[in-house]
Amino acid sequence: MGPDSLSVTFAALADPTRRAILARLISSEVSVGKLAEPFDMTLPAVTKHLHVLERAGLIVRGREAQWRPCRLRAAPLKAAAGWIAEYQHVWERRLDRLDDYLHDLQKKGKQNGRKKK
Amino acid sequence: MAARKNSPNEALGVPDMLVTRLLDAPRELVFSVWTDAEQLRQWWGPKGFTNPVCEVSSRSGGAIRIHMRAPNGTIYPMIGTYQEVVAPERLVFKSSALDENGQPLFEVLHTVTFAAEGHKTRLTVQAHVLTTTAAGVPHLKGAQEGWSQSLDRLNTRLNLMSESLLKPNS
Repeated sequence: MGPDSLSVTFAALADPTRRAILARLISSEVSVGKLAEPFDMTLPAVTKHLHVLERAGLIVRGREAQWRPCRLRAAPLKAAAGWIAEYQHVWERRLDRLDDYLHDLQKKGKQNGRKKK
Repeated sequence: MAARKNSPNEALGVPDMLVTRLLDAPRELVFSVWTDAEQLRQWWGPKGFTNPVCEVSSRSGGAIRIHMRAPNGTIYPMIGTYQEVVAPERLVFKSSALDENGQPLFEVLHTVTFAAEGHKTRLTVQAHVLTTTAAGVPHLKGAQEGWSQSLDRLNTRLNLMSESLLKPNS
């Protein structure tokens, strides 16, 4: 992945319609027409979302002119999820330390016989 | 390139990270250790890290500058700005980790809420990714201690995260 490709993935995932489209593609390949069915929007509007997903590498589309099935590509999704998971890990470690710090701070306060405030 | 300009993704609702913790301390105290630079310096970053630079002006529009130092001497600089400071309940700030040339590796909007639960405090950190770069990933890994030991946990979380990213309404 080149620089900024994660940002492209995050931007593509930012839209609830696009996430719903991806969720629909987890189980199987689906044609554009079928994909559009559950959404209250025109086919061109759905196609626009598909272009965004395609550019982000989140889906690939078949070559057949009529029925161009869309297929999920999991790699960018995993990269985005990986980023968030790593960041969550950073925060968990940080809060561990905050927890310890608050514990020590209050223990010290009691030992000195004076509390903050 | 992402560079220093305002991010084009800023207005987009990217899926968020959420961590929460019940801390055994009153809310005012928890809030103060977040907003007082000398106290923040004592705990910011994983175990074993220090913060040779820790400057925060805890007011709306105030600047944040923290240099985190790993046990091996590597410095991880971070800059940011407070968007909202509401004592003792809420902090909103934007922050970026910087590479060795001072370029942002990623920019994240954080919303931290402090809720009293009896004498304890429920802390919630929500992180909203504005931009990131491929180089930001190894950077996150580098800022960890004993990272390899937690790979199993990471994998489990990864699968959960992949699922949650696809939730239609988040």
